[in-house]
Amino acid sequence: MKTSRCSVGGVLLAAGLAALLSGCATNVNTVERAQPLATADYIADKRVVTDNSLARTVRVYAVNQTIVSGNLLKIQAKVENLKDDLRTVRYKFEWIDKDGMAVNSPNEGWKILNIQGRDTAYISTVAVSPRAVDFILKFSEL
Amino acid sequence: MTTLRFKTILLAGVIVPATLLITGCQTAETRTIDASGPQALNTGGINSQDWVNAADQLVGSLLSSGALDKSPVQPAVLAVDRIINNTQLNIDTDLLIKKIRVALSQTGKVAVTNTMGLGERAVVASEAAEMDEMTTGKKAIVPSVNFTLYGKLIQQTDRLNGVTQNTYSFQMSLVNVKTGLTVWEDDRAIAKQTKKSTVGW
Repeated sequence: MKTSRCSVGGVLLAAGLAALLSGCATNVNTVERAQPLATADYIADKRVVTDNSLARTVRVYAVNQTIVSGNLLKIQAKVENLKDDLRTVRYKFEWIDKDGMAVNSPNEGWKILNIQGRDTAYISTVAVSPRAVDFILKFSEL
Repeated sequence: MTTLRFKTILLAGVIVPATLLITGCQTAETRTIDASGPQALNTGGINSQDWVNAADQLVGSLLSSGALDKSPVQPAVLAVDRIINNTQLNIDTDLLIKKIRVALSQTGKVAVTNTMGLGERAVVASEAAEMDEMTTGKKAIVPSVNFTLYGKLIQQTDRLNGVTQNTYSFQMSLVNVKTGLTVWEDDRAIAKQTKKSTVGW
C-alpha cells in the first residue's frame, strides 16, 4: 500500500512537471511541399559573430536575392529560432554601392522580430536605390 | 559629548544621504540617440522605429508589386492624396508619408508632383507656376499625373487582464488615374502590448 502511494505520487509529480514544461513551450509544427517548386537565388554569405549568446539563440538559415521593379535589389533571409520559446531580436539591413560606399535609406533602421520556439521567419527588404549592390544584415539582442 | 556624537551620526547617517537622494532625483541626463536605433523609447504609441518599419514595409511591398513599372512614362508622376489619421494620437502623417516619398524618389521610378493635392506645398507650387506663366508669357506645362497615393492610419485598442494592446494599421493604396483602378494596396500592422505596473508611486 505504501509502495503504491509512492508510485502514484511519482506519477503525479512527473505529470505535473510535464504539464509545466509543455505549458511553457510555444514551438511551432509545420508542413510543406516535399519537393519545393521555388528556385531561390541563394547567396554565399560571410558571418561575423561577436555575441555568442545571440548566435546560440537565432541563426540565419539562408539568404536569397532577387531583382524587383527592374533594377532594385531585394534581399530575404530565413531566420530560425534555436530555442524552445518565443524570442525577440532586432535586425537591420544596410546597403552598399559598387564602390563600397554606404547607401543611406530613409527607412533604414532597427526592426523587431518575434519568432516562436523552433520556428523560422522570413525577413526582407528592398533597396530603394539602384546603386545598392551589396548588403549587411545585422542582428542584436533585445 | 554624547549629544555631539549623536548629532554627528544623525548628520552623516540620515541628513546627508537624504539630501543626496533628493538632489540626485532632480538630476537630468540627456543623450543623443539614433532616432530609429535600439535606444529609441518603446511606448504604447507609434515611435520612431515604428514609422521607419511601416514605411520600409510599404515601400518594399509597392516596389515588389511592379505596379509603378506599368506607367506610360518613366518616372511615373505621383500625387500624394490625403492620409487620414483615425488613431487617438495627435500625429503628423508626414512622419510616414515623407519617408515613403523620399524612398520612392530615390528609386528614380517616381516623380512626386506638388502642383496638386492638399497642404501648403501644393499652394506654393501652384502659385509659382502661375507666376512663371505671368513672367514668361508661356503657359506652364504641368505633367499629367499617372498615380495617386492615399492612406489611412487606424488604431484598435484591446484590454485584457491588465494588458493593453494597441494595434496600428498602416493602409495605403495606389490608384491609376486613367482607369480609377487600384493597382496596389497593402495593410501593415504593428501591435504593441503594455502591461500596467502593479506598483505605483
